[in-house]
Amino acid sequence: MPSWPENRVHIGSHAKRIDAPAKVTGAAKYSSDVQPDGWLYGMILRSKWAKAKITKINLDKASKVPGIKAAILDREGERTVRYYGEELAAVAGTSKQACLDALRSIDVEAKELPFVVHEDDAKDESSARVWDDHPNLSKPRVREQGEVDKAFSECATVVEGFFTTPVQLHHPLETHGNTISWTDEGLTAWSSTQGIGSVQDGLANNLKLQQNRVRVISEFMGGGFGAKFGPGVEGSLAARLSQAAKAPVKLMLTRFDEALAVGNRPSSFQKIKLGATSDGKLHAFELESYGTAGIGSGGSSEGGGGGAEFPAPYIYKVPNIRVKQAGVTINAGSARAFRAPGHPTASFGMESIMDELAAKMSIDPVELRIKNDPSEVRQKEYRLGAERFGWKEKYKKAGSSAGPIKTGVGCAGATWGGGGKGTKAEASINPDGSIEIRCGTQDLGTGSKTVIALIAADILGLKPEQILVRVGDTRYPPSGGSGGSTTTASVAPAIYDLCTKALDELQKQSGMENARGENWAAACKKLGVNPLTVSGQWQEGLSSSGAGGVQFAEVDVDTETGFVKVKKITCVQDGGLIVSKLTCESQVNGGILMGIGYALYEERVMDKTSGVVLNPNFETYKLVGLSDIPEIDIVLLDMPERGVIGIGEPVTIPTAAAVANAVANALGVRVGGLPITPARVLEVLGKTKTTSEDSKEKV
Amino acid sequence: MKAFQYVTATSPASARELAGGDGRFLAGGMDLLSEMKEYITQPKTLVNIKSLPGLNQIESSPSTWSIGANVTIAEIEDHPELKKVFPGLQQAAAEVGSRQIRNLGTVGGNLAQHSRCWYYRHRDVLCLKKGGDMCYARHGDNRYHSLFTGNTCISPVVSNLAVALGALGANVIVQKAEKPQSMTIAELYAEAWHNPEAHNSLEPGDLILKVELPVRQQRSAYLQMSQKSDFDWALVSCAAAAKVDGNKLSQARIVLGVVSNVPYQVEAANKFLEGKELDDATIAKAADLLLEKAHVQPFNGYKIPIARTLIRRVLLQLKA
Repeated sequence: MPSWPENRVHIGSHAKRIDAPAKVTGAAKYSSDVQPDGWLYGMILRSKWAKAKITKINLDKASKVPGIKAAILDREGERTVRYYGEELAAVAGTSKQACLDALRSIDVEAKELPFVVHEDDAKDESSARVWDDHPNLSKPRVREQGEVDKAFSECATVVEGFFTTPVQLHHPLETHGNTISWTDEGLTAWSSTQGIGSVQDGLANNLKLQQNRVRVISEFMGGGFGAKFGPGVEGSLAARLSQAAKAPVKLMLTRFDEALAVGNRPSSFQKIKLGATSDGKLHAFELESYGTAGIGSGGSSEGGGGGAEFPAPYIYKVPNIRVKQAGVTINAGSARAFRAPGHPTASFGMESIMDELAAKMSIDPVELRIKNDPSEVRQKEYRLGAERFGWKEKYKKAGSSAGPIKTGVGCAGATWGGGGKGTKAEASINPDGSIEIRCGTQDLGTGSKTVIALIAADILGLKPEQILVRVGDTRYPPSGGSGGSTTTASVAPAIYDLCTKALDELQKQSGMENARGENWAAACKKLGVNPLTVSGQWQEGLSSSGAGGVQFAEVDVDTETGFVKVKKITCVQDGGLIVSKLTCESQVNGGILMGIGYALYEERVMDKTSGVVLNPNFETYKLVGLSDIPEIDIVLLDMPERGVIGIGEPVTIPTAAAVANAVANALGVRVGGLPITPARVLEVLGKTKTTSEDSKEKV
Repeated sequence: MKAFQYVTATSPASARELAGGDGRFLAGGMDLLSEMKEYITQPKTLVNIKSLPGLNQIESSPSTWSIGANVTIAEIEDHPELKKVFPGLQQAAAEVGSRQIRNLGTVGGNLAQHSRCWYYRHRDVLCLKKGGDMCYARHGDNRYHSLFTGNTCISPVVSNLAVALGALGANVIVQKAEKPQSMTIAELYAEAWHNPEAHNSLEPGDLILKVELPVRQQRSAYLQMSQKSDFDWALVSCAAAAKVDGNKLSQARIVLGVVSNVPYQVEAANKFLEGKELDDATIAKAADLLLEKAHVQPFNGYKIPIARTLIRRVLLQLKA
């Protein structure tokens, strides 16, 4: 069984990103920056209706707009659109304005149909159905274990709560999209994607092309969070536009589009009952939940996940449980896998009710967790984190701080699988000592290229900047989609294998006993004219799965305005062997910020009268800003013996729950719905003025 | 956006003439260009007013400060003298958008900006304000909407500067027809109170030239509450100005923002404060008077406690 070297110089170091200079100077070309000769803009016409029968779409006028080179339908014939923003047609032209003019000139004949966009309305049998052949509310999936009713009667303490989470949008900074050139020779797609392989597969399937004619490139990528696996409708449209216009087409979605049709995290409405015996051991758990994944889960993403269900009772083992989970369809865009699908939602409900139980039993919330969390790793993390955070000094009776601005603390835990396998990679070692490593993974911004360089540098005794790393091309040996926090655990062992073999082979061919480090150049010189090429692949024993983490939050809440300020987050996270500490910590920071967004700001808002998304922008879909960022303290548990695991997802899971628990601790009363807005805080404090009688009637 | 003609004006009179009935004035462009991109506004002509003489100056005399319409929000924010004389104005400027927006946005544009109502701003919703036949906010999600209105539209005016300038008793000098006219802040927005399609009282071609602030030896303050710490619209804002003698107020004026389609003032509240000492009961009574006629919508009742808090905190800042 292979094992990671004992003496690690670069692995685990704070070495900077190898592509940092390219990114900072703008030399790095993202998919949205690629400009092949003669490229055209592509744009999509979307449904203005939440539900309608489309009887005719006339592209004649659009085709005649000056500068327009192609205008196509998403599909032929009559069709029913089921949400605002569904794709209808697309145009390609020489300027953005030409495309905009063309889109506005397309005549669409539509018969509007009744629709429903809010979960509670959709549940009602009398509401319009999204799909004619089945009701909006699915039959609940029921899971039962033990004797729940009896178990509750045996509990010393029982608490109940109702918790809601909103639909959250992925909103990666680089929007979805591709630049595609389709000629007789084949198709090249520069994609903003988490899976060059799945885009290749999707495009070949959709366009009836042989896979050897489809090449997908993603050299630099601006984030995906689970919503960018397949080519999407926009990818197939870009390809068809390119074919029709006989020119490359760049079709990147706008920020507006991004809010409608390319995925989201499903909402949840969770009724939870939890009981413990007098020793504080969890004994009975009951959950009834529903939530929406839009018109259905999955969409055109091959990322999987995205349904309205979530794990329950999440990280805890309760002997008696009853779980009923249903999904509600509404006339809105589909959910897709979103950074730890299901987990932040599950964590918020479960960790909230845990704190309710702790408060009612007068047990310290950290102790209650250590007592009930079956994971030894997390138990250790709670102890370590509590010490570091100053939990004992900071944790006070709920609502007990003096003055209008109240301080509170909270904590929560998370679990994630991670792991990963299957990556292949190759290297060319040149007689001049230069080296190139090629791997068909992609770097979402998480630092995959840096990971590869650090490992290679340690094994070959070189500096990271000596390693030329190429990823994001389907011509390189295959790796797999970057989802489920599996990339590092899948890629790192392959690079280990590759570089170990390369070193062996170089030593053999050069006749030198040790070709590492200072001997490297001399050994390479002995290769003669041709480079040495080597292949490697993922090996068992260098990676594993299962990452536990806990977070602590400290907040200030202004009880007179409802304003919540997160002051500090402490994160203790297990990630096995950390390969690139800098980019790993960057993942933790990003996960925590996304978690704070989920806790306090983010929420897709639908309008029930028009069926539109009301906040398809960053003005009213609010994201964490610079001034909202708290002090973040990161502790990465060092467990190199576990190998590489992957932590991109677990670090976003417990943040919202920890913040919500801190707010409840500050106030002495709980805000059960995310995001925790000033309106919600003032409402639970009983300060909000209720609706005037006459306006109530109208709504 | 729709194609338009672009012309540069050399004088207020020529600006009016060039704009005609369906032209718009371009200064910072922060609001106008985004409306044009969404096809909410489709002017035939954009009249560049950036080089109009004298509009980018801040001037003072013993009795009056004059701030040109093209002065940027950042220039107000950074002006050391203005900060001393009218702290409320400086605070209001510092809370506008982001620094990048403040670097470009102008006084005239801030005062004349249009509604941020998410129905009004939505490209596919034809609401009352855009000439449609219903106010969607009344029947929909009105969390960011008004507590006070004289018509069916409940979208609030969101100019920070208007709130502060209202409290400071400023006049806005507007080129109307042949000659400049002086309007109070209340007059500048009065039309929006009863006309759902109006954002303010300006008629086509009316051009804001400058703002004049009387020097009254007053203290002033402005506060706003947003969902985020920075770069976010106010949920509610409040400004107040008064002479403070010992603990006693005189000539007090309080204005609430983002709660009405006008910067909201209640004369009775101002009068009530005349000669009063600022204690809890006085402040509570002033807040009662200001909020007495509030008409709460299903999702905006939280604005009442925020408004009460801001009224109190702003008045206490005057005392400090």
